[in-house]
Amino acid sequence: MEQVLVNGLYLGAQYALIALGLTLIFALMNVLNFAHGQMYVLGGFVTYTVYGQWHLPFPVALVASAVSLALIGALLEKFLFRPVIRRSKRDESTMLLAAAVAFLFDAIILLVFGEKGRGVPKILNGVLNTGTIVIPYDRILVAALAVVFIAGFMAFMQFSKPGRAMRALAQDRTAAQLMGVNVNRYSNFGFALGALLAGLVGGLLVAIVGVNSGIGGAISTKAFLMVMIGGAGVVGGAIAGGLVLGMLEAVGLTVLHAYGDITYLVIFASLMIFLAIRPNGLMGKPWG
Amino acid sequence: MMSDRLQIIGYAVFAVVMLTVVPFFTVLAGRNDYLYTFTLIALLSIASAGVWITFAIGRINIGQSAYALVGGYVSAILVATYGVSFWLSIPLAGLFAACIAVVIGLPILRLRGVYFSMVTLVSTEVARLSALALPITKGAKGMVNLPMPGPIAIGGITLVPDFATLENPRIAFYYVAIILMLITFLLVWRLMRSRIGQLFVALQQNEDLAQSAGIDIARLRVIAYAISSFLGGVAGAVFSAVSQSVYPSSFTTQDSINFMLNCFLGGLGYVFGPIVGTFVLRFGWDLLFQAQRFQLLIYAAILIGLMLVLPNGLLSLIPSRKGAKR
Amino acid sequence: MANRRSALTFLGAASAIALTAALALPAFAANPVLKIGFVGVTSGPAAAWGTSNVRSMETLADMWNAAGGVTIGDVTYDLDIVTFDDQKDPKLAIQGMEKMAQEGIHYVVGPNVDDGAAAVRPVAEKNNIIYFPYAFPKELYTAPASNAVLGMIANYQSGPAIYKYLQDNKGVKTVAFLAANESDPLSQRDGGVAAAKALGLEVVADQDTYANDTTDFSPVVTPIVGLKPDLLVLSGVAPANAPLIIRAARELGYTGLISTETAQDAAVLKEGAGDLANGFISVGGASTPEIRSDEMVKFIETYTAKFGEYNDESNTKVYALQYIIDTLKANPAALENVDEFKKTIDGFSAPNPYLKDPEAKLSYVGSTSFGQKRQLAVPMVVNEYQNGEFVTLFVGQVD
Repeated sequence: MEQVLVNGLYLGAQYALIALGLTLIFALMNVLNFAHGQMYVLGGFVTYTVYGQWHLPFPVALVASAVSLALIGALLEKFLFRPVIRRSKRDESTMLLAAAVAFLFDAIILLVFGEKGRGVPKILNGVLNTGTIVIPYDRILVAALAVVFIAGFMAFMQFSKPGRAMRALAQDRTAAQLMGVNVNRYSNFGFALGALLAGLVGGLLVAIVGVNSGIGGAISTKAFLMVMIGGAGVVGGAIAGGLVLGMLEAVGLTVLHAYGDITYLVIFASLMIFLAIRPNGLMGKPWG
Repeated sequence: MMSDRLQIIGYAVFAVVMLTVVPFFTVLAGRNDYLYTFTLIALLSIASAGVWITFAIGRINIGQSAYALVGGYVSAILVATYGVSFWLSIPLAGLFAACIAVVIGLPILRLRGVYFSMVTLVSTEVARLSALALPITKGAKGMVNLPMPGPIAIGGITLVPDFATLENPRIAFYYVAIILMLITFLLVWRLMRSRIGQLFVALQQNEDLAQSAGIDIARLRVIAYAISSFLGGVAGAVFSAVSQSVYPSSFTTQDSINFMLNCFLGGLGYVFGPIVGTFVLRFGWDLLFQAQRFQLLIYAAILIGLMLVLPNGLLSLIPSRKGAKR
Repeated sequence: MANRRSALTFLGAASAIALTAALALPAFAANPVLKIGFVGVTSGPAAAWGTSNVRSMETLADMWNAAGGVTIGDVTYDLDIVTFDDQKDPKLAIQGMEKMAQEGIHYVVGPNVDDGAAAVRPVAEKNNIIYFPYAFPKELYTAPASNAVLGMIANYQSGPAIYKYLQDNKGVKTVAFLAANESDPLSQRDGGVAAAKALGLEVVADQDTYANDTTDFSPVVTPIVGLKPDLLVLSGVAPANAPLIIRAARELGYTGLISTETAQDAAVLKEGAGDLANGFISVGGASTPEIRSDEMVKFIETYTAKFGEYNDESNTKVYALQYIIDTLKANPAALENVDEFKKTIDGFSAPNPYLKDPEAKLSYVGSTSFGQKRQLAVPMVVNEYQNGEFVTLFVGQVD
């Protein structure tokens, strides 16, 4: 059972980092970014290329993933999302745009990086074995980095000037504008930061689970789930949602092992019931 | 504002064209493949019409595949296991889907915005996994080799022939799908002009206000969701007959997302938006077949371009007419 | 108004792009063109399956066209491979098959999955198309169905052979199954479980599933590793998932054997699991250097030059087009009449150009499984992954 809990925590840390970027973009702009998973995959392929193919150090590859995705995010916001949000009669139109961007990324990723599943050389060899739990060292490192990134992000949001401006934006766009926050600039910054997080976690996870060109859509859906469990648009909610989903999967797969075929059915059905009882997730804003 | 009468005339012209001119020229040109494409478009636009109705009450529904899958299985099970006529199975499939929608809808329609969207998105997955797990759906093996639709005869006169005896069942399925689509959109159009339709729009604009005005919003929402799911079930039922099979993966999350995109692309403010959106998305994919491996790239680029130029849907091209015709 | 005009300009530009793309296709050829179709998945998570099909067909077509074309009867044709991406969606698979019918194509490779293969059946039969799915449901190949020909070894054929071999040679007594919660893998798992039980093996796990989009498999394999089976069978595992599962199981301390009944790619295994994948057992066509002919080596070289990287799944997928053309050569009347093709199937035999063994033959099989010959006799090469490549364990036959 200890192993199961470790698996859950470990999966939860990965998930939480995946969900952070999504919830940030949602909080700032009310955009449900369907392309989040594709950004994750792109980040993964950047690290794959830089670390796996060019044999540069892993941290360099991570930085490359983060920077390239931040750039892509900033461009997307400026040239696609901002004009559409301005001119569209209904907020939801950005969903179509995000889905179309997801298609575009899928196509580009497939053309550039091919259809095969990819992996990179292990960043650390060896396995920690205490008798009751078994964890490879590279997974410990990745989980630790995930926690560091999450903590870093929270500190940034809490204490830096851009972080405070973005929190103000997320709370009340109009009020923030009246208080002199440059809405366009920080929306752009926030979108870039959300994309950066997606790229970073994509790059980070390549080290242990590889990357596969078609998996973007599924990652987005999973990230949506976590965000909903925790509560949309709240940083703490994304982290809680990621941990809960990770735990749910790890424990569910073990407890329902004998009824394997229905494990995911039970997980999803209980999620629906949970949301029906708690319409805003664990700690979400009431407006969704 | 375009008058109702003009809209009816427009729709009648559209109906006649779809029932006579289009099949005539498609067959004349020897483009049998387009008959299936149009059939598919008609079926998908019926399901999309359902999604559009949930949009009309201000809910983003990314779960229509669940009901299409339910409809497909209900029809397949009725026809293959119980020998019920396919024609009777269509409304039954729709009704079954609507009943499920009422049960699920009562709790989840309290959710708003993205929360509702997410729960519906999850429901597609729940439907797929249920189909895999239940014995009556034959699980992973799917239901295959379903019989073709049988004849309809009243008093010895054959109204609809047995599809299995037809030289070209494609054209028969084309008519089935197109007629269902025409009926669907006529009814949706009528619905949106009725008192209930007005109330739907009131819900979309401000639920709290509608409630304080004494409207039973819970009931209205469930009605809208049930109609929506009914349409999904109907589309799924007909598709199971077209492919003579239904699998847990016959309708997936991707389809749910596509239904939603169809509505957006056509324009959320237009009853006939889903037809236009489905037509452009599906037919576009078909035309881009020539582009081979660049198909998805070009398709996505065009979609983004359309969104940038027409963020309120294709039908917003028609100037200053609200709820306009196709 | 400006808005509207720019929309029209945009639509114009878009259609211009589409038109250019359409015209850019190779149009001129000295010989008359023979079109062979492909309908299957070349995008999304399962893109690897269809892509290796398409690339095998295109490589082979290029090789033959460069050599002057293929002569069927008195006419020499250049091959043109027409492909349709069904995105693993049965609705699109039908659309693709309709397209093939429209193009006048009678021989189509694909679809890659169960639901697509079942959905295209009515279209194929109405339009006289023989299709070669990579899907295992017996209904597709058993009478009254007659237009589908299975393109590879089915798991219910290779599974028993592999389990028997491992039972006899490696002392396997207990076996656990793990499958993705989708139609194809689950059906294959059920077939595998039945086969293992028939051999008297103890099945310790037959219900464990995972979602195909799983990235981290540790939680999935933890319960199975705890059971310590002698053999872990990954039913219908996607090539991208195989290394991840192997790695997760090995890192959690699993020491038994791992096998699957579908074709895998050595490069993917190497990148994804490295040395941990050593000993992994899978099934391929002309997949190991020991048994390959020079022709196969040339095919692999051409493929690699054309697409930058070879895919070992093509060791199996090279066969479909070879069979189609060789059968047409045996009976040119089948070019336009698939009933002639069906007649030719029964007695067909031709040398297998991809194996060193001069006795190796191409023929149609499947009588035992389907009651009629509706399967390509792809050699059942059971191989083991060792340090970046496959080595042959044994070669089996299907009848």
